[in-house]
Amino acid sequence: MTANEILDLLYGTLRTTGVYNFQWNLVVMWGVGCLFIYLAIAKKYEPLLLLPIGFGIFIVNFPLVPLMGYSHGHAQLLQVFYHYGLEWEVIPCIIFLGLGAMTDFGPLIANPKTLLIGAGAQLGVFITFTGTVLVGFTLKEAASVSIIGGADGPTTIYLTQHLAPQLLGANALAAYSYMAMVPLIQPPIMRLLTNEKERKIRMRQLRPVSRQEKILFPLVTAGIIALLVPSVIPLMGMFMLGNLMKESGVVARLTDSAQGSLMNIVTIFLGISVGATMHADKFLSWKPLFIFSLGLVDFAVCTVGGIATVKIMNLFLKEKINPLIGSAGVSAVPMAARVSQVQGLKYDRTNHLLMHAVGPNLAGVIGSAAAAGMFIAMFD
Amino acid sequence: MKQWIILLSLVIFSPVSSHGEDFLGAPLIPQGTATIKTDDRLEMKTPLSHDEVVSFYREALKDAQDIKFRDWKDATYIEDDGRMPWHSITVSKGGEKGTEIIIVKDNWTWIIGTLILRYIGVFMVLMVLLIGMSLSGKIISRSVAKMDAKKGAG
Repeated sequence: MTANEILDLLYGTLRTTGVYNFQWNLVVMWGVGCLFIYLAIAKKYEPLLLLPIGFGIFIVNFPLVPLMGYSHGHAQLLQVFYHYGLEWEVIPCIIFLGLGAMTDFGPLIANPKTLLIGAGAQLGVFITFTGTVLVGFTLKEAASVSIIGGADGPTTIYLTQHLAPQLLGANALAAYSYMAMVPLIQPPIMRLLTNEKERKIRMRQLRPVSRQEKILFPLVTAGIIALLVPSVIPLMGMFMLGNLMKESGVVARLTDSAQGSLMNIVTIFLGISVGATMHADKFLSWKPLFIFSLGLVDFAVCTVGGIATVKIMNLFLKEKINPLIGSAGVSAVPMAARVSQVQGLKYDRTNHLLMHAVGPNLAGVIGSAAAAGMFIAMFD
Repeated sequence: MKQWIILLSLVIFSPVSSHGEDFLGAPLIPQGTATIKTDDRLEMKTPLSHDEVVSFYREALKDAQDIKFRDWKDATYIEDDGRMPWHSITVSKGGEKGTEIIIVKDNWTWIIGTLILRYIGVFMVLMVLLIGMSLSGKIISRSVAKMDAKKGAG
């Protein structure tokens, strides 16, 4: 072999490496990915999702990695997960199946007027929509960004994939990050909007809920959602199926799988595929950064909406509702309900609000799905 | 020859029957005549049938993204959900003396109005669910109480 041939061979080999094709913007994305991994591990912020998302961001931002493209006409690994899981909107629905199988709707059934708190807490969604359009997003993009305030990861992913798939990574990341920060975001707003007397309002213990009611609830809810907001029935239908399986008590194996292994499997695929959509070329623009800042405002206004709804309801109710549970209308389940409990105990050590707050917390899940359905209907 | 040049110039430069190619980015049907024109709204009349006009717009807008064609009872409503300056094109149906076309600019009234309606819609959905749950809860509570009473009596 001549020297030139050896040099050509070495150069050819070098050109197939990531080092040769290196771009500096990828380093920024490594930092972003590692930041979310750090938040997941060290701070325990939504680790089940932020860890695979963070790793997905990290691994996909290397040159020439065969992960999110096509090779010889076949989709590469993460592209397969993304296509069949997210583009086909399967993963969010299966996650809702698992969530339904874990959820006890008893507190909501016992006090159904807390459904209105879940509706009121969607205020931020619609206000943020306006702000997002003002800044230059299209209407569909604005809808997908504003649903972040609903604090519901699968609903955010479902709506974003439907209306603005190019924003999937940023929206999902913003949603899960802010959900983890609910204990930081909500308390100052709760203190600002309530006085000492309101924070000490005691609510009557919730009535016991029969097994029959808990079995009927998913059927009634699925039927009403199917009639009024049919576009979100894939999500809510699976949610109610999971819950029906749980409450029936006769399919324990299925329930265990839905809330256990199935949920864990799809969570892995969800996290890594969402992370994999965030390549430097798409992510490093003004839009994702704006989405992050707007997501905070969205959450805050949704909190305001929930508390304001309780205050308005209290004008008409004999038995007052403690407005601290209004913030639980933001459907970061069960974190927002725990925040209400902690804040309530600060002002009265014997006033346990947790079970009362679970009702609006779950109502928020239905409310954010209804809001998503309204947006889908707007564009269909 | 002179006559032909003058006629051609009149056709090309006539302000009545010829338009710029678009209004706020919305294509204009060549055989249309403007009846009302402001900065925000253009109303035109054309001798073409409704189907011909809709076909024109389907062809003209085929490469545009986020365009929706909605078939209403009295008109076809073409809506832009993207970045175009125009919001909608309404093409009337059933007119014996031609078709009316109305092009409207993007406006905040529509955006705010639809958002308020949809926010109220969320309340309506959850209100219906509240009523459904309250009713079913009462029915089941009564039947469970009756069954318990029967068991107690038995």
